[in-house]
Amino acid sequence: MNKSLHVLIMYILVHLGFIFFMYPGDIISSSEEGHWIPILIGCIVHLLVIWTYMKGMSYFPDRNIIQIYSEAGRIASVVFLGPVALYSVMVSIITIRAYSEVISIVFLSNTPLWSMMFFMLLISTYVASKGGEAIFRTGILIAVLFLPVVVFIFFSSFQNVDWRYVFPMSTKDFSFFAKRSFYESFFAFAGGFLFLGFVQPLFKYKSKHVLICAVFFIPFFLFSVYVPLLTFGQATASTFHFPYIVTMDSVHLNWLMFDRLTMFFLLSLVTFILLFVGLVLWMTVSISKRFIPIFKSYQLAALVIVIYSVCLIIPEWEIVQNLFWWNSILRFYVLIAVPISILIFGLRSKGKGARERA
Amino acid sequence: MVPFLQEMKSRLGSNDDFFIQRVFLLDKPVVIMGLSTLIDVVNTKSALLEYIEQSFPSGKTVEEVIKAMSTTPHIEINEAISAITKGKLIIYFEVTKQRVIVDPIMKLLNRSIESPTNENVFQGSMSSFTEDIDTNIGIARKEFNSRRLVVKSYYTGSLQKKRLSLLYDEERVDRKLVNQVIDRIENNQDKEINHIQNLTKVMGFNSMELIPKFNTTELPQEAANSIRKGRVVLFIDRIPFALVLPSLLWDMFALENDKNLPKPIMISLRLLRVVGVLATLIMPGLYVALVSVNPEVLRIELALSIAQSRDGVPYPALIEIIMMLVVLELVIEASIRLPRSIGPTITMVGGIILGQAVVAAQLVSNLLIIILAATTIANSTVVGVQNSLSIRLFKYLIVVLASIYGVLGILGGMVLVSAYLAGLTTFGVSYLYINPAERRRDS
Amino acid sequence: MLKTITRMLIIPCMAGMLSGCWDNKDINHRSLPITMGVSMVGETYKVILLIPEPVERTTKVRIVYGIGKTITEAVDHISRDMESDIDMLHMKVVVFDKPSAEKGMTDSISGFMRARDISPKAVVVICDEDIDHFFKRTKQTMEPSGTTLYNYFEKNAGWSPEVALTRIWQVYRSIYSFTRDVAIPVVKSGNDTMMQHLGSAIIKNGRMVGQISSEETLLFNAFNGESAHGKIEVMQHSSVLIVSNTMSHESKVVNNQMYMTSRINLNVSILETSSHVTNDSIKKELDSTLTDRCNALLAKIQSSEADILGLGQFFRNKIPRAELKNWRTEYLPRLKMDFSVRTVIQNEGNLKTPRRK
Repeated sequence: MNKSLHVLIMYILVHLGFIFFMYPGDIISSSEEGHWIPILIGCIVHLLVIWTYMKGMSYFPDRNIIQIYSEAGRIASVVFLGPVALYSVMVSIITIRAYSEVISIVFLSNTPLWSMMFFMLLISTYVASKGGEAIFRTGILIAVLFLPVVVFIFFSSFQNVDWRYVFPMSTKDFSFFAKRSFYESFFAFAGGFLFLGFVQPLFKYKSKHVLICAVFFIPFFLFSVYVPLLTFGQATASTFHFPYIVTMDSVHLNWLMFDRLTMFFLLSLVTFILLFVGLVLWMTVSISKRFIPIFKSYQLAALVIVIYSVCLIIPEWEIVQNLFWWNSILRFYVLIAVPISILIFGLRSKGKGARERA
Repeated sequence: MVPFLQEMKSRLGSNDDFFIQRVFLLDKPVVIMGLSTLIDVVNTKSALLEYIEQSFPSGKTVEEVIKAMSTTPHIEINEAISAITKGKLIIYFEVTKQRVIVDPIMKLLNRSIESPTNENVFQGSMSSFTEDIDTNIGIARKEFNSRRLVVKSYYTGSLQKKRLSLLYDEERVDRKLVNQVIDRIENNQDKEINHIQNLTKVMGFNSMELIPKFNTTELPQEAANSIRKGRVVLFIDRIPFALVLPSLLWDMFALENDKNLPKPIMISLRLLRVVGVLATLIMPGLYVALVSVNPEVLRIELALSIAQSRDGVPYPALIEIIMMLVVLELVIEASIRLPRSIGPTITMVGGIILGQAVVAAQLVSNLLIIILAATTIANSTVVGVQNSLSIRLFKYLIVVLASIYGVLGILGGMVLVSAYLAGLTTFGVSYLYINPAERRRDS
Repeated sequence: MLKTITRMLIIPCMAGMLSGCWDNKDINHRSLPITMGVSMVGETYKVILLIPEPVERTTKVRIVYGIGKTITEAVDHISRDMESDIDMLHMKVVVFDKPSAEKGMTDSISGFMRARDISPKAVVVICDEDIDHFFKRTKQTMEPSGTTLYNYFEKNAGWSPEVALTRIWQVYRSIYSFTRDVAIPVVKSGNDTMMQHLGSAIIKNGRMVGQISSEETLLFNAFNGESAHGKIEVMQHSSVLIVSNTMSHESKVVNNQMYMTSRINLNVSILETSSHVTNDSIKKELDSTLTDRCNALLAKIQSSEADILGLGQFFRNKIPRAELKNWRTEYLPRLKMDFSVRTVIQNEGNLKTPRRK
């Protein structure tokens, strides 16, 4: 059986979970026209990053990045794994906080935020406690259950599309490079790729498959932005926090038994996010177990309690968005430094191996 | 009297069915003993005499006969006792003080091979396993008649010796798995195995798991198919079904017998079972979620008619559904317990309660009755009753979560259940494999 | 170890959560208004809710009023005074009275979009009479099913192609979009039927600026890709049933002058004719009737500077975005449009019509 499937499914779920929430809003507010340019730039960066990363990983069959960095020395592990762990914790906090807020805005306005975050963290912790292999298997089950729903609703979201809103296509305006929201949009790319470095001892996969999958995934990035744009037009879409969700809300299918498709769509995506947070927690704990050899079995619980407390402290949406922004530095560090360093280590070890053989 | 006989008498004499008789074999006095409840004494004696007369032409001495009959030169007293409790006959030669264990003619204490009672088969072979382990192994050999079939037997237990047999396909089976199973059995030979929970302990599984680690089946063709797919089948004496290791999620949906039907039909049947499981898990939760947390998901017409049918119901949807679910579980449990002759009473009374009276009394809404009925029906589509039991439990988790978080709770609950299932492994084989033989190939 | 901890954590949490079924009210304790009337009296909003209530196998419709500085405040007042909680999530139709619509609905519509209490899919309607009277009349016709008003606008129920079907999100879009406005149906309570359709209001940036007739609304719908299927077109000498319709458009800019050619393709089936009419003459008649109507509609649009047909959409790739902002005022009034109608008579019913004179 091809174990690439586990990795591919995980890749798809994680990215689907990310792109329909903040991503369209970020892109729409970063540019007034020709949105495909920032999207494609993001996608190309993303492809380059995962290519570099997987190329580097391929020099170390049966190793994950923790082992690679540990072998490279103490300094390397502190310089690279430290930020990765910190970034992962930040991502968990932001994701849990932001998504519970989204759920609360969109429905469940009566349910207190603390309980929602508690529930989400509880599930993620449970998933994380099952360990790496089980997380990927859970991914398969969840994909079987919810991916059809998501894909169906995704296609139905084209209902109110007016293709003429696609124009103007071309633009000479590259001011989005100076926009904060453009850099924030990388959240959708940066969170999901790290796990590729943690799969290897558990599953073998072909990096080619992941790359092909990533290329085929680009339309989803495009349409997550363009569906709201084509339905509402840039001027209206830019007034929404979550353009895609509002677009979903305007879809009217009168033959369906249920009224609000958004809810099923959104919640299916939330399950993907829960899985993702579980994955991130597991990665963080794997790193921390490497460095803190004591209380290994309590580390996950401790980490979760810290995350939950931080989530509770954040009082308003404004701060979430600021966190989002502050996190950018770390995000780009992880996005750039980790893949390149792995590639360098990989090339070095290959050279060493060649010398030893000679 | 001779010490051996005395010892035997003192150890077993308190049993009224223990017999000691003196007979003459080749004109030498011997004592035969055994349990008259297990041994057909009269027939055994005549058969014994006949056997000796036929197989040993005159002139042979008793010593030679003994040599030919016994495998071990000397039999300890404990060994003799356990042989007797197993239903063997012991012949004691008074002259030489030697004893021999002989297979007697047993009393017929086993039922014959019947059609399955716990698993119904649709257009398939109708025989099922029985309590007798030898019969079961025999049936399995008939279903999978290949020289690759390996049968390994063990006796475990200190109080009583229980026979345990391991069947597998020599070539396709995962050696690691077999070795682990054998290790476990050998290391725990002193433990009693009376039921599956005992066996779970012996195998070192967590006894609090909701999903059984053994897939049980009483259909020989299913067991044979498992062997064919490289899985290990365990038989325990007096347990009338095969235990398949490792158990897999797919067992809930697939029956070997489905393959007697055309492929599209097989696929749709299996799909139907998947739908059944999903419906069992989701439907009660969905009712609670839609009625009490997220009614906006319902279409207005539906919302109004539900509101109308719930009008006057004095408690929240969660209590309503849990109450009715428990009633339903009681009905199911009662219909298992009751003898067949009174069984229909439960159906009738239950039908009246669930069908009309509760609704008429405005205790629950009539939509709930529909949901409950559908859930119960859906739950029964699962292959294997033991599987449907676990699903039934998961349903409550989802109902409770749905009552708090609505649709989010349902989906969250599904993630929990998925994670739980994904985390299950049996000797390193994940519960989610469809065909464990594939694992071997790529590792 | 960790497993045991997580498990032990789960159990007390479940227990804690169970008690915390916070404000989850069961569906029978919620009022589900399906129609809301909004009327502005000076600076205060008057909100009327039409709530179907299930009573003993039938449905009674209840009308409640509330007044407040904002719509939410008014609703809150109603909710406070009612025995069950008001849940706006099922709102299907929002009715504005004509004076408020003329004054502007921007704030209300934005509010609906923001709070998400009211589905963005709710249909917006303007009533051309006293809103109290309208609701009283509606109430009478709505019993006993309770959803009649909503069915009037439901595509698989009572909707007919000359009624504009405009939802909240579309109105919201028109507030911001440079090139798209909407038309909202104008109704008043009918004598025998539930409602009387008076045509549609032209909405520009959330404000009613003009009115078009039912026939023109049909064109509006056809333009927006809605099917006019089932509509009977009556002309001087015959009447036909529209079986299907498509439109094709071409736009071009020459010397800063906008031109547009639109062709309406109709498949019709003949219902009634006077004796000497041929197919050709039916086609001709249809052509002239529709073209005239289109031109009249265009004139109305141009004079009110509200682009309800979304004509600006066709020029999005021809006019730079900075200029598009001024589409309604600068370009739309100068647009030259050329309509043509191509009719295919799909069948003639059971009777033959003469080919030629």
